[in-house]
Amino acid sequence: MSQLQARFFTEDQRYVVDDVPFSIPAASEVQDLSNVINKLLEAKHASHSRVEFDFLVKGQFLRTQLATHMETEGISTEDVVEIEYVQRITAPEPEECIMHDDWISSVEADSEWILTGSYDKTARIWSLEGKVVTTVAGHSDVVKDVAWVKRDGLTSLLLTASLDQTVLLWEWNSERNQVKARHCCRGHTGSVDAISTDPTGSKFCSGSWDKMLKIWSAVPTEEADEVEESADRPRKKQKTQQLGLTRTPLMTLSGHNEAVSSVLWCDSEEVCSASWDHTIRLWDVEAGVMKTTLSGSKVFNCISYSPLCRRLASASTDRHIRLWDPRTKDGTLVLLSLTSHTGWITAVKWAPSHEHQLISGSLDNLVKLWDTRSCKAPLYDLAAHEDKVFCVDWTDSGLMLSGGADNKLYTYKYSAAQTDAGA
Amino acid sequence: MEASRGNVQKAEQRAGMKKTEKTNKKRSKQDEEEEEEEDQLFNLNNKSLEEDEDLSDSEESVYSGLEDSGSDPDEEEEEGEDGGSDDDDEDEEDEQDQNEKSTVKKSKKKEGGDEEKEVKKEDEYDHDTSDEEDIRNTVGNIPMEWYKDFPHVGYDLDGKKIFKPIRNKDELDDFLDKMENPDYWKTVHDKKTASDIVLSEEQIELVNRLQKGQFGDVNFNEYEPTVEFFSNDVMIHPVTNRPADKRSFIPSLIEKEKVSKLVHAIKMGWIKPRRVQDDSRGRFYDLWANEDSSILAKHKMHLPAPKIPLPGHEESYNPPPEFMFTDEEKALWEQQDPSDRKLPFIPKKYPSLRQVPAFSRFIHERFERCLDLYLCPRQRKMRVNVNPEDLIPKLPKPKDLQPFPTTQALVYRGHSGLVRSISVSPSGQWLVSGSDDGSVRLWEVCSSRCLKTVQVGGAVKSVAWNPNPSLCLVAVTVDSAVLILSPALADKQVISASERLLSAQQEEGPSEGSQPVVWSEMEGEELNQGIRLKIQHPKPVHQVTWHSKGDYLASVMPDHSSHMQVFIHQLSRRRSQNPFRRNKGLVQAVSFHPIRPYFFVATQRSVRIYNLVKQDMTKKLQANSKWISSIAVHSGGDHVICGSYDCRLSWFDLDLSTKPYKMLRHHKKAVRSVAYHRGYPLFASASDDGSVIVCHGTVYNDLLQNPLIVPVKVLRGHVITHDLGVLDVTFHPTQPWVFSSGADATIRLFT
Repeated sequence: MSQLQARFFTEDQRYVVDDVPFSIPAASEVQDLSNVINKLLEAKHASHSRVEFDFLVKGQFLRTQLATHMETEGISTEDVVEIEYVQRITAPEPEECIMHDDWISSVEADSEWILTGSYDKTARIWSLEGKVVTTVAGHSDVVKDVAWVKRDGLTSLLLTASLDQTVLLWEWNSERNQVKARHCCRGHTGSVDAISTDPTGSKFCSGSWDKMLKIWSAVPTEEADEVEESADRPRKKQKTQQLGLTRTPLMTLSGHNEAVSSVLWCDSEEVCSASWDHTIRLWDVEAGVMKTTLSGSKVFNCISYSPLCRRLASASTDRHIRLWDPRTKDGTLVLLSLTSHTGWITAVKWAPSHEHQLISGSLDNLVKLWDTRSCKAPLYDLAAHEDKVFCVDWTDSGLMLSGGADNKLYTYKYSAAQTDAGA
Repeated sequence: MEASRGNVQKAEQRAGMKKTEKTNKKRSKQDEEEEEEEDQLFNLNNKSLEEDEDLSDSEESVYSGLEDSGSDPDEEEEEGEDGGSDDDDEDEEDEQDQNEKSTVKKSKKKEGGDEEKEVKKEDEYDHDTSDEEDIRNTVGNIPMEWYKDFPHVGYDLDGKKIFKPIRNKDELDDFLDKMENPDYWKTVHDKKTASDIVLSEEQIELVNRLQKGQFGDVNFNEYEPTVEFFSNDVMIHPVTNRPADKRSFIPSLIEKEKVSKLVHAIKMGWIKPRRVQDDSRGRFYDLWANEDSSILAKHKMHLPAPKIPLPGHEESYNPPPEFMFTDEEKALWEQQDPSDRKLPFIPKKYPSLRQVPAFSRFIHERFERCLDLYLCPRQRKMRVNVNPEDLIPKLPKPKDLQPFPTTQALVYRGHSGLVRSISVSPSGQWLVSGSDDGSVRLWEVCSSRCLKTVQVGGAVKSVAWNPNPSLCLVAVTVDSAVLILSPALADKQVISASERLLSAQQEEGPSEGSQPVVWSEMEGEELNQGIRLKIQHPKPVHQVTWHSKGDYLASVMPDHSSHMQVFIHQLSRRRSQNPFRRNKGLVQAVSFHPIRPYFFVATQRSVRIYNLVKQDMTKKLQANSKWISSIAVHSGGDHVICGSYDCRLSWFDLDLSTKPYKMLRHHKKAVRSVAYHRGYPLFASASDDGSVIVCHGTVYNDLLQNPLIVPVKVLRGHVITHDLGVLDVTFHPTQPWVFSSGADATIRLFT
């Protein structure tokens, strides 16, 4: 079995070759196959410049010899092998290294600005080039999570959640570069570890160490909500100088037995939360009830949802990234495990424009770029950090960000996003 | 035999003749009496007849079996016709001599043989027991002494007396007669007739022959060649071709009658079947029924004699050179006591087997062999054949006992001195550590972030987070003081609740100045750091531990000389008391029972359990170790583990015994700390060998089932510094994670 019959196809119209079977050596690897395609393309168009390709056999990336791959995947070598090829995703290029004063706990970027939360009790807004725009200070304790709410024109709304058990809703005028705390969301009795804004930007959800999820309104108003103050708190007033108007939650979702570590909106009606009690729960926000429970065996640190492939990716303390189908009723079905990290995985994020790719950050100082079609090994290891990675993000414009305990926020230019957009 | 042989010969002769006169065969019914005698012969004759006439006359051969008597008259006639042949005569004569009875029937007589016959008769009738009578004297076979006194000896056939001859011979006459009469030696006295008879020459000769054991007849050849009736060849024709009788095919009527009679009798009950022998009465009984089977087995046991080992190369007459003794070996052999020698002889080499001399110690060796046999132990030693694998209790695989911590996840760095003690907040979010660098640090568990550092100004021996989740307090021991720290890492309500507890007014106040323990509120810088209270002890405090309600805490001051080794403090009332009046040994560690009002005090050798309500000792556990270092109580309260400086960990089941239920010796060095998990069936021990060993320890509610203890994981990571490894170990309250603090100034989280 030294030769195999293979037929190459692609969805990228620029690199289509003739649909005829070729006889290729069974021991050929990715580079050999790439050479074959380039030769074919050169024969077709004289102007072709060399492109590196990756190859998929039955939806799995080819990483070893073709024969070995087919043997492990259990694909018959008698038939003609259908090999799909895509332009190889080029390695993400490190762009900026943004220094912070303290550990970076969270990051969220949109097309223009980067918002980071830090252990120095502040959040900062950065330009994509890495210049600090403004510092959002006001929390009395570590900022654990940040989120953009809405940006229309020059004013933006943003959220910061902190260990001091509050979530602050800020209004930021980018022109005047002024930050004003509009609301102070009180109600949690533990540190608020996760916040997430709903797709319409009118509500947000927060998850806390006190095991609760709370839904809040994200619309700034001029009125403070009534807070039933307990009478026996003489010291409270003199202690904290409250920023902004107090806001109370619209709804409280309780059901987790342990701290909530991550929340997100699957759509405008549905909230998904991950917890240290080894479950991922889906909540119906309208009704305020829990819909589904996905049970794992280890603590979940982070979850991410991709509307493109409709999968949940979870980051656990047992070094595996697991993919879940949130619509399944039987809540223990893991679709896929991505295993390569050696420490707790603290953050995971789907690519906004690619249904197969995601990045993960771990306590082993590595950020990894994954393709779900190659679950044995990641596409790239981004070994920029010198300490624990706590947060990762991925913008629509193809920028990947990661921050961690080395006080650095790295940005990576990820070029394959637009070339591979059709995939 | 003679007669039969003769007949056979005749039959053969006659068979030849019979061929010629086949047709005039007739049947005659005479001589019926002879028929029976010679029945057997006729059969034989028939056989020969058949053999010859088989082909020619089938009819005759078919009926030959029925006509067997028919040939006899012919024979007689033929004999009469050719009586001249010598063989015939001799045969006849022999027949007469032997049989003696058929004298009447045969007409032919021989004169020459008459005299002999008489003599023989005399001889024979003397001893013959047959009923043939002596016709000369009719008295019969009686002892002749009866006629001793009579003049006659009997009567002849005519009834006249037979008179004794007048004999007046005395001994002398007899002697003279013997001397003079030449016929004396052949004269015999006939008692019957009382007459002397002089034997003839033939008679003497006959007597001589008989005396020699020869046959009486001179002419009789005893070695005549045998003439076989049957040849040893298998003939093509059967001996008798007689078809089977019809009756052999027909069921016998008589038998049927008999059987039907029996059947009838059985049916009517006249005949009973034979009674079965009833052995239940004990006609037979098992002599060994009550014998102990083990005794029987012992008797049965065969004990083979010890075998002599097979000879080896060194016993050869021509051993290989490596078996030959060197000089040293020989010298050694000679020096050694015979019982110590490895070989009882010196190997010797001979050029050939012929030159091997006789074994000089043969007798000796046989004697020793006999001794061996005689002294052989006659009892079998019962050796239990146990596979060592089977002795190991079947433990479940660690894989099946998930979850338990397996890998190091986080390292909490920041301390500069060895971290003696750690404690986790009841929520599991925070970790407090006390170090020799004089600081207490508060860490966020999930990120290993040090959130606060409190400088306490002295080496911290022990820290303890208040286990009550509605309070947020940490007890810290610094030198001889216990500090109550409010880390303010909780909900405001919790913080304010702990504040209220701390600020609660003491009842008595410092009324008794002689109190050994002084409570004081902290001020200024220390208050800003969160240190709220200071409980000053008379001596250095080594350990502090909370009661599960969070109001009481106990502190330990190990001191041999004092009875004030343990204090129990009540936070809400700022009161301290020494529960023990007497010193029972150096106290190492104390612990509260999680549920009941019990108090565990570990001294060097034992653990005492006191009932705080009744104020007496309920139990004393013997740890079987030299120096207990630490103690941990299971969340159920019925199990206690103790670590000791002699590398052991002992598990006590309080319901079972005061002795350890299990001793674990997995550590290479002193065990510094032990801990139970609050929820999972796990416990861990930390040792100076730098490892933390996590064991699975399932406790069953069922009192009959003993705890299942399986070591599941050795966790390494700490660097041994100054011969110290891991100093403290504690579990996360909700997750199966274990924290360990070491002399390398780090705290590690294993998940």
